Amino acid sequence: MIVCVAVVGHQNNPLYLQSFTEADDALKLHHIVHCSLDVIDERVNNPKRSAPTLNETFLGLLYPTENYKVYGYLTNTKVKFIMVTTDLDVKDADARNFFRKFHAAYVDAVSNPFHVPGKKIASRSFGARVSTIVKSFGSGTTG
Amino acid sequence: MANYLAQFQTIKSSSDRIVIAVEDVSDLWLNVKESFERRVPVKKACLNNKARNPVFVDNLPAEFIQTTDSRLRSRFPQEQYLFWFREPYATVVLVTCEDLDEFKTILKPRLKLIVQNDEREWFIVFVSKAHPSNDQATKMAKKVYARLEADFNTKKRERCCKFDLHGPDAEFWDDFDSKMVDCIRNTLDRRVQFYEEEIRRLSEQRFTPIWNFCNFFILKESLAFMFEMSNLHEDSLREYDELELCYSESVTSPGKHREFGGLDTGDDQAALLNPGFKALTQIVQDDVFREFEFRQYIFACQAKLLFKLSRPVEVAARGHAFVVGFSKTLALHENSLPFCFREVWVITACLGLIKSTTSHYDGGAVSVDSEKEFHRLQGDLYSLCRIKFMRLAYLIGYGVEIEKSPVNSASLSMLPWPKPATWPSIPPDSSAEVMEKEKMILQSKSREKLFNIYRKPLPLEPSLLLREANRRRAFLSVGNLSELYDSADGSGLDANSKLSPNRSASNFMARTMSGPAMSETSLPVDRPMRLSEIHVAAEHALKQTISDPDFMTSFSSVEEFEKRYMELTKGAADNYHRSWWKRHGVVLDGEIAALFFKHGNYDLAVKSYEKVCALYSAEGWEELLADVLPDLAECQKILNDEAGYLASCVKLLSLDSTLFSSKERQAFQSEVVRLAHSEMKHLVPLDVSSLITFAGNAGPPLELCDGDPGTLSVAVWSGFPDDITLESLSLRLSAWSSADEGIKAIKSSDSHVLKPGRNTISFDIPPQKPGSYVLGALTGHIGKLSFRSHGFSQDGPVETDEFMSFEKPTRPVLKVRKPRALVDITPAVSSALLMNELQWIGLIVKPIDYSLKGGILHIDAGAELKIEESQMIEIENYRGDMEHASSANSSAEAGKVEKIPIENGKIKLPDWASDVTTLVWFPVRAIDDTIARGESPASPQKQSIVDGMRMIALKLEFGVFHNQVFERTIAVHFTNPFHVSTRVVDKCNDGTLLLQVILRSEVKATLHVKDVQLDLQSGFEHLGKGDGRPASSLFPLVIAPSSRAGILFIIRLSGTKDLDEVENADSMLNIKYGISGERTTGAHSPGPVQPGDSEELLFKIALRLKRPVLDPCLAVGFLPFSTDCLRVGQLVNMRWRVERLKSPEDASISGDEILYQVDANPQNWMVAGRKCGHVSLSNEQGSRMEITVTCIPLVSGYVHPPQLGLPEVGEVNISCNPAGPHLVCVLPPALSTSYCIPAV
Repeated sequence: MIVCVAVVGHQNNPLYLQSFTEADDALKLHHIVHCSLDVIDERVNNPKRSAPTLNETFLGLLYPTENYKVYGYLTNTKVKFIMVTTDLDVKDADARNFFRKFHAAYVDAVSNPFHVPGKKIASRSFGARVSTIVKSFGSGTTG
Repeated sequence: MANYLAQFQTIKSSSDRIVIAVEDVSDLWLNVKESFERRVPVKKACLNNKARNPVFVDNLPAEFIQTTDSRLRSRFPQEQYLFWFREPYATVVLVTCEDLDEFKTILKPRLKLIVQNDEREWFIVFVSKAHPSNDQATKMAKKVYARLEADFNTKKRERCCKFDLHGPDAEFWDDFDSKMVDCIRNTLDRRVQFYEEEIRRLSEQRFTPIWNFCNFFILKESLAFMFEMSNLHEDSLREYDELELCYSESVTSPGKHREFGGLDTGDDQAALLNPGFKALTQIVQDDVFREFEFRQYIFACQAKLLFKLSRPVEVAARGHAFVVGFSKTLALHENSLPFCFREVWVITACLGLIKSTTSHYDGGAVSVDSEKEFHRLQGDLYSLCRIKFMRLAYLIGYGVEIEKSPVNSASLSMLPWPKPATWPSIPPDSSAEVMEKEKMILQSKSREKLFNIYRKPLPLEPSLLLREANRRRAFLSVGNLSELYDSADGSGLDANSKLSPNRSASNFMARTMSGPAMSETSLPVDRPMRLSEIHVAAEHALKQTISDPDFMTSFSSVEEFEKRYMELTKGAADNYHRSWWKRHGVVLDGEIAALFFKHGNYDLAVKSYEKVCALYSAEGWEELLADVLPDLAECQKILNDEAGYLASCVKLLSLDSTLFSSKERQAFQSEVVRLAHSEMKHLVPLDVSSLITFAGNAGPPLELCDGDPGTLSVAVWSGFPDDITLESLSLRLSAWSSADEGIKAIKSSDSHVLKPGRNTISFDIPPQKPGSYVLGALTGHIGKLSFRSHGFSQDGPVETDEFMSFEKPTRPVLKVRKPRALVDITPAVSSALLMNELQWIGLIVKPIDYSLKGGILHIDAGAELKIEESQMIEIENYRGDMEHASSANSSAEAGKVEKIPIENGKIKLPDWASDVTTLVWFPVRAIDDTIARGESPASPQKQSIVDGMRMIALKLEFGVFHNQVFERTIAVHFTNPFHVSTRVVDKCNDGTLLLQVILRSEVKATLHVKDVQLDLQSGFEHLGKGDGRPASSLFPLVIAPSSRAGILFIIRLSGTKDLDEVENADSMLNIKYGISGERTTGAHSPGPVQPGDSEELLFKIALRLKRPVLDPCLAVGFLPFSTDCLRVGQLVNMRWRVERLKSPEDASISGDEILYQVDANPQNWMVAGRKCGHVSLSNEQGSRMEITVTCIPLVSGYVHPPQLGLPEVGEVNISCNPAGPHLVCVLPPALSTSYCIPAV
């Protein structure tokens, strides 16, 4: 189950963060997303160690902890997509697929002429679309 | 084969180095032992690794053991193969012999016997006892050695070397070492091959029933151990890796139930770095090792090798992965393990790894990357340890002491509770402890944050502990419990739901359930435990799990717990700071700060909190910032750090308004205002860039002309939740191009009240230097507090649609143009105006994109020019401008003429004229006191154009504060209407003169001459009526511009007055005329302008008439020559006739004698007769006489003839009629025949 998805701008500023937990604990997900930027930074700043994945937008598993996993995706404009899931056996292909859809939704949202680049995404339709993507991820009918 | 395991272990532990057997044939060992053993460990050896590649090994440990030693003797051949790794790797045969025969007969057969065993790698050391001084013996030894070499060396391999007991021989030792290493290498190769084959054989049986992991393990580890002995650690490590892989496969394969292990005392302390923790025989069961111990064993072996390879970073990396992975494995077996065994194991494992890797790590030798990686891993280990530690602490009731921060919540609330088979029950006789825990729970209350900020604490538990614990007690049914606590919430009881909702209701219930302790000590079994009881039960169970008494002390009291907690947090933070993961480090700093804060260590807390806040605010994570910032503010408030506290309050206010309730925000504001009005010790300008932002208004920048003041209106956004009064406000403008230039504060003097949101504030701008200006900074005062904002763009309020993105470059708000012409004033006419008459001068006042509103025009007429102030000034639209003026501008009413007064030469321009080109007409009169003079052939005039020039100095003051001045001096040309010239057209015999007066129009206007009257000077008089009118009356006479007209007067000379008087007097010509001209083109009628109307004007001009100078009394006529031509030498008579034309009126010139004089050039003429003399001529008019003078021309050519002069008469009285010739032609003399005598 995806508990949180986030879009982080190229200056590491949060653009969109949506938690999918029922509890009122979004702040801890903020923390998880924020800290996972460390891993993205590390990978981006040390291309040597991640040479094979450098040209790929999908960063894979960032953060294997015992209880949740953080996946990352980095666009060419250095916008990061981050997904936190409590599913402990996620297939890379599923995650990749998820991010591709998420990216498409993001592109549509920021193409809105009323959206100010670099500012938080306030579009409700974007939120709805992301929710749909997140739900479809859980159902296993991705692709 | 499993039986051999114990033996294998013993052998392995007893042999740790390569054995080299010494076959002491000649009892020499005691002699050489010392020097031989000095050679081990072998300094450098080249061995082959598993892939048969040469590897250089340093300090290869080896031991010499005599073949007679018990260690080598008592072995069965079967054992020898199995534990081949411990068998000698080389055999040194020590021999000596001093006699060749002895060698042949005894030694050689014996040696042959020894070396015939192919299995062994051997070489012979021949020890020469011969002293170097003893030549005989030396020679003999050489001989024997040569024999030995011949017998035992082969072409392929030399197996002999010679050792002189009495002579140091460096060469020998090199030889010895290389031979020894050769042997070791060969043996090693053979044994590796053997083991590999064995392993392969066993591997092939992998899936058969006879497969036995234990055997495989022994073989594999034997090989690994052999590599390890040979210092081939890499190969050894690889063997262990393969072994681990193989084990994982075999252990996961479905099969019979195996024991997991971990139930022994002390198992809770991880042994992942201690291979000898447990004997392998203890953990073997049915030919398979128990997973718990064996995995740790394998890891320990790997770690040992990695440390030997100086790769502590890899140990840390593998260790972290191992701990995480193993923790999962432990979770699978959790219900069979002691309570919280898993957590305890992870903590000890992490601490063990941290300790050993740190002690093996010397930061110098590794690259920056791996150093960072190492610290990251250390941080991870610390952090993992910390989480588990917190979990345990929470279970035993220290949860109330743990900060409910996002980081703790993220780690704990997603971490499932331990899942023991049954939750520990409360031990008997523990009522005191229960009371204590009860007290702790009751005493704890969430700390009240500053400003009464209340946030629901973040959960530290995946699901409610109370429910989870009771549910896991075997005898309580789930249904009961849910009814008991929360019948509405049935779904939350799913044990796997890691995020089961902690509704506030259930939370509340949970708190109330830990009410006052009941007095009874023994619980009825079916009563659910209270929270305090759960804590006590957990603590007791934990005590049983944990074998290390030191470990348990961490939970003995809050202080101990916090000490340990701090240690772990600090360890994690420090290591993260030294890695790439700065955020992790800073966040943990926040946890440290929270603890400092709790203990009143505010100085340290502030430092850490500041770091955290800086991190969050730099990247815009406002939600997280909003969580920490109030704590920082509180610390600062306690520390009396007013500046910091204010900055924090401002920051709090500038955060997204949805993050705090309006009440909270109001509290922030009132705090700021309170401080601002209080007596602050250190007045520091407060940076409110994020709170008060400003921007120029949308649209093009305000454009000002050089020198103009202006009003700049600036939008100021206030982030304060309420109105805020600013005591003053000023704005700095900075030049667009250079930063240092033109920075000037512009004050908006009056105090402002900023409403929340957008405010528009106008600033008066004094004149600025030309250039573009951008908004610099906004400064001002709230109370006594000065603040400044650079927040031109950042963090503008999101809700306004005019929100500025901070990527937008700052736009100039003010442009001050370079000095340029703002207005142009040109005279409307170029042609001349009438002198001495009232004339209108038109000025075209043309504003150039600039309003002339309120402009004042100063007109300063120069000398000889007078402005008729009695008249009104007329201002009208300039029509010439209307073509290109757009029709939209028609509001300026084309053709409108406004009359305005002129006072002291000043005109105030009407408002309607401020933006359009206007024509200003003002009346002047050019004054020329001199009387115009006419021109006559007798008195030609040179008229300079400058004479009619008059200068007008104009000065226009305009602009808002009349700061703009335009000055110009214009020249206007004035002239008389007519240019008058006279000439005498004809002179009649009776003395009548026809005087023509020619009038030439000087102006571009039609002149109507209505009447002309000539007042003659004395000496002249009119003929006829004598009224001075011209001869013919053709008036009115119309003279077109630039045309001429002539008027004829008939006059005559009169009287014989004094000649001088006649000469000096002037005649006056009075011309009455009218003019019809447009003032736009030039001269015009001085009166009101009405077409067709022409008022009568008078123009007076002086004419000086001269009496006719041609009034001779004598006429001299040159009479023609008598001959046709003159010749040189020929006499010729010059004859002049003198005639008296009139009788002399004056007595002075009367007389009948006239003096004559002939004037001739003596070179040309010879005058015969009298050159001068008196001739008589009667005084009567008409009397004439003739003067004849005979001359001879002397030269030929054209020559001047002699002239007759009358010296007494004066030239004026002589009329030459007919006039004498100017030149005469004189021919050369004719040829004289009289001198030509014919040549006869």
